[in-house]
Amino acid sequence: MGPATVYVKNPDYVQREVAGECILVPIRRRLTDSNSIYVLNETGTALWKRIDGARSLQDITAAFLDEYDVTTEQLTQDFETLLTDLLSIQAIDEVSVSDGSTD
Amino acid sequence: MVQQTKLSRLPARFPLACQWEITCRCNLRCVMCYTDCRNRPDFVRDELATDEILRLMDEMAEAGTLEICLTGGEPLARPDFFTLYEHAIRHGFLVTLFTNGTLIREAEADYFARLRPHRIEISLHGVTPQTFERVTLGTGSYRRCLEAVGFLLDRHLPLVLKSTALTLNRHEIPAIKRYVDSLGTVPFKLGEELRPDLNGSNEPYRYALSEQEVTALNREDTELWEETCRQKTTTPMPCESGMHRFHIDAYGRLQLCSGNRAESYDLRNGSFGEGFFNVLPTFACEWKASRTTGLIRPIVHHA
Repeated sequence: MGPATVYVKNPDYVQREVAGECILVPIRRRLTDSNSIYVLNETGTALWKRIDGARSLQDITAAFLDEYDVTTEQLTQDFETLLTDLLSIQAIDEVSVSDGSTD
Repeated sequence: MVQQTKLSRLPARFPLACQWEITCRCNLRCVMCYTDCRNRPDFVRDELATDEILRLMDEMAEAGTLEICLTGGEPLARPDFFTLYEHAIRHGFLVTLFTNGTLIREAEADYFARLRPHRIEISLHGVTPQTFERVTLGTGSYRRCLEAVGFLLDRHLPLVLKSTALTLNRHEIPAIKRYVDSLGTVPFKLGEELRPDLNGSNEPYRYALSEQEVTALNREDTELWEETCRQKTTTPMPCESGMHRFHIDAYGRLQLCSGNRAESYDLRNGSFGEGFFNVLPTFACEWKASRTTGLIRPIVHHA
């Protein structure tokens, strides 16, 4: 989970807007979450909407710092928690990015 | 991020959950069924077409609807059922399916395992073919229903089994409950409420149990009796149909609930948003009155 990491959304999660809340609905449910939905908070919603398989975590963080009144430390901590949660339910995956080196 | 089973912050009126009678077609002819009177070609021709249902699903998704219960008739009797089902799942609806189970073979169960529903509820009318098929009037329906239960359990799908207590199966209800308990993880629901069929006939009531018979039946099982006592001691809430829940019939008519079709909004000629937000609140329902008026009966659970 470094600053250069790029994440991609898992298409097996559908984002829904329901009564002003952003929720994630797994459409290929695992046995353990067959009746669960996942509700994102405001930061989580903003992060989720910016995950596109192209922008790095660093890019997203920089854009956030321009847009919101939040400290780098707080944002880094919030993102780390959110990304851990999203990875744990397999709502996102890390994208393999070549560093350009050759063996 | 919070894992939840229900949303907690909802406006007083919001189109959260839809019960959708997508067809009155059915391969069985259950004696107490209130939709079977429309299980005829002339009515079937008037049912919503595939593209009409898909359009309405899109509008409901846009409005924020989260839960859709697909019922009938028998939903799988529609040739386009899986087109509708997949559209609903891919739009992120939590899909519940009310079915008689008999059209679910291994291929259908495999499909549900790939795109899992929120819940599948199957009606189980007896534990012997004789009793089961006296209710369904369908030869072989008992075997096919139990096979479907097996197919779904093999794939760990979220299954609920339920029975309607009738004069025809009353003697097997305790055995049905014991069978469901033996499955380990499958909830059981017992219903006693019958309703007139959609053409207004009271024919389904021919099979109704008396209140005394229902009480005696529930006393035969600890869990059923506990649930009965819980319902009797809980102060009934005024009906909230049309607030967070609504009903759509097979012809695209938006209604307060499946038990109150006195007034409808025609979704074929209007938008879902217009119907839910502007028209539905004008529909009358005696159950929506304050509980202090004396109009509320002890148990209200139509939806």
